[in-house]
Amino acid sequence: MSVATFLSDSLAIAETEFRQFRRNRSAILISLVVLPLFFTVSLGAGQGGAGTSFSSTADIPIGFVDNDNSIASLRLWQTLDRSPDFHNLIQSYNEQDAIAELGTKRIYAVIVVPKGFQNDLENGNQARLILYADDSEPGVSDQIQSTLTGYAQNFDPNVEVQPHLSQLQKQSIAGVGVVRKGAIFASFNVGLTTILAIVQIFSVFYEIAGGMARERDEGTYARLLASPIPIGSIMLGKTIFDILLSVLRTFIVLGIGIYGYGAKPSTDFGTILALSLIVALVTMGIGFVAAALKLGQRAVVIITFFLILFLFAFSGLIIDSNLLVGISQAISYSLPFTYAFDALRRTILLGRPLLSLTFDLEYLIGSIIVSFALAFVLLRSFRERLIT
Amino acid sequence: MKNAFVRDTVAITAKELKQLRRDPVSMVLTVMFPIILIGIFIVIVAAFSATTHNVPVVVADLDGTSASNAMLNELTRSRFIHVTQLVQTEDQAYQAVDNAQAVGAIIIPQGFGNALLAGDAFVIVSTDNSKLTSSQFVVGSVNQGAQDLVNQVTSGEGGINFGLKIAPIEVITRSLTGRPPSGDPILPGFLGLIAILGGFDDIVNAINRERERGTFPRLTLSPVSLFAVYSGKMSATIVLTILRTALMLVIFSLYGLVIHGNLILIFLTTVLIAVFTFSLGLTISTRIRSTTTLTVLEIAMTFPLFALAGTTSSPLLLAPGGRAIADSLPWTYGNDALRRLIYLGAGLNAVGGDLLILLISSLILMPIAILLSKRTM
Repeated sequence: MSVATFLSDSLAIAETEFRQFRRNRSAILISLVVLPLFFTVSLGAGQGGAGTSFSSTADIPIGFVDNDNSIASLRLWQTLDRSPDFHNLIQSYNEQDAIAELGTKRIYAVIVVPKGFQNDLENGNQARLILYADDSEPGVSDQIQSTLTGYAQNFDPNVEVQPHLSQLQKQSIAGVGVVRKGAIFASFNVGLTTILAIVQIFSVFYEIAGGMARERDEGTYARLLASPIPIGSIMLGKTIFDILLSVLRTFIVLGIGIYGYGAKPSTDFGTILALSLIVALVTMGIGFVAAALKLGQRAVVIITFFLILFLFAFSGLIIDSNLLVGISQAISYSLPFTYAFDALRRTILLGRPLLSLTFDLEYLIGSIIVSFALAFVLLRSFRERLIT
Repeated sequence: MKNAFVRDTVAITAKELKQLRRDPVSMVLTVMFPIILIGIFIVIVAAFSATTHNVPVVVADLDGTSASNAMLNELTRSRFIHVTQLVQTEDQAYQAVDNAQAVGAIIIPQGFGNALLAGDAFVIVSTDNSKLTSSQFVVGSVNQGAQDLVNQVTSGEGGINFGLKIAPIEVITRSLTGRPPSGDPILPGFLGLIAILGGFDDIVNAINRERERGTFPRLTLSPVSLFAVYSGKMSATIVLTILRTALMLVIFSLYGLVIHGNLILIFLTTVLIAVFTFSLGLTISTRIRSTTTLTVLEIAMTFPLFALAGTTSSPLLLAPGGRAIADSLPWTYGNDALRRLIYLGAGLNAVGGDLLILLISSLILMPIAILLSKRTM
């Protein structure tokens, strides 16, 4: 078979795929609207846009009990109350009453200034603040403690109006300051790198493995195999179709991110598109392998769900791969998606040139070749089984 | 008539459970969802609670005094960072981070010893913040090292005493539940998530698969009221949710989580979460007929719920827009009730409002779903 025939067959398959896609309203909605929109908008809503900043503790109602009633404790109250981090500080007069309010959702923490606070500061001793926190709200007590500690570490009882603290100053230790360098990224920009890849993985796996399962259920796959089109052309045709969809999805996710939430990638669009397509190609290879295993449509969807959960745990999305322990670290390092997420972060956040990420690229391209080759062999070997 | 309704409902419930028993894939999924979620949780918690890590850092000691040496010693003693290289210049240190040879570069600047005497010393930390958690470990370790150095200096340990003032105020945190700080704050959220996923899975099994198999029209043509059909399917979901909740609570107990609250209230909460999810799924299923499409849509909705409905972190910490969305989602109240029941041992009076929101939301959605279902049948 000549290369020209092979390519013409592949284009014919791609054209058929597009025609089917155009006729399937729910497929268009899921692939190009629901998945990109749900994920990106929920990220933007949860984290705020890239250009906006908010203090997560600002609106949380917190009780403040001053048992010292001194100038120092009054200045501490004023410092916290005027800060952008504690807008909802409620003065209480009885410690026990304030603590009893915890767990009722009226207040989520109580800051207690104990008796002797000013004396300790005057005598050069370490003074103490007690923070009672409703730790049934995940993350809230840690966040309040960390923010309060920043103010406490930098509090000077001799100064009536404390200077405004930057985020970095809040994290420094009295005596030895820690000056942080290195770009700090908006949560939305960090999340965008994840969302872009997750949307591609979710959609592409469903389109390739689910699409072939649907063709099998409808009997068109058997007809396709009975035609003189080789399996290689079928795979290439579906790949071309899905690459074009992936390009559209990349535009949609980045469009919402940039124009809707002010994301500012540190790299050019070509690099992001190239990486997004590499992620899509890796997923396509795995999707073809799954299709060769004769999975039903529902099984494909459920595997997609588990795949995403699996990636959240092992691909460095929640915790960096180098911090995982034991076998989970080995699993993480063997997953091509780990390198894809790493490359996306390094380019979009740090602005590294794509070609400088040699190892990531080598691993990803190797994975694409291996998965496509494996899928080809499996689809050929299970040809009979797949049409019965 | 009333007896007939109850009898029909029970018959449909029994049919649903029998069908599930005969479908090994769905049976396995019902069991696998909780186990996989907990497995993922254990992997993450194991990583976060590990007592040692070896996050690579490079250090440039530009001072070369006993004070800077003491700081360097503190850094090398850290259980979380590993000093892989000592470099001569600040640029070499930054270069190592740029080339991904290290996650952090720590610079002890010239004059550090003198500045320590004056009480205004500082160190510079440059981190590769694309490594989200590792960079936090680097900053945390440097802060800890600086704090230890300050403590050492003020107590005159190691033969050095600069008379430096220690941090003026210490914050001591006392938690309401008395639990040790660990990863388990997200476990009640997982229980809520299992109820949501289970509810979605049940609606796919209960309606769309029946439609695809052609058994749904037969069911509606039988002398059973549509309300009894839906009640029966809902009852099956309730039975399955109770089983899933029991399985999750057993896993929680094996994991060492102490459940303070009333078990009946916990079961009631998960059942109400599942009933609301089922009602929503029923409404969606009147427009989306394909099993696969409905499952994809529901899964696509589930992931944002992780972030917005208080599954893994409190909605209080969300941006204002996200908090508004969270407040409008009935699942948020379900997750909130579960946390307060499990951790605080709250009673019905404390979580009654949350449960009422779930119940009212279901009562609003259910008639809409039945009405739409009749129209599109």
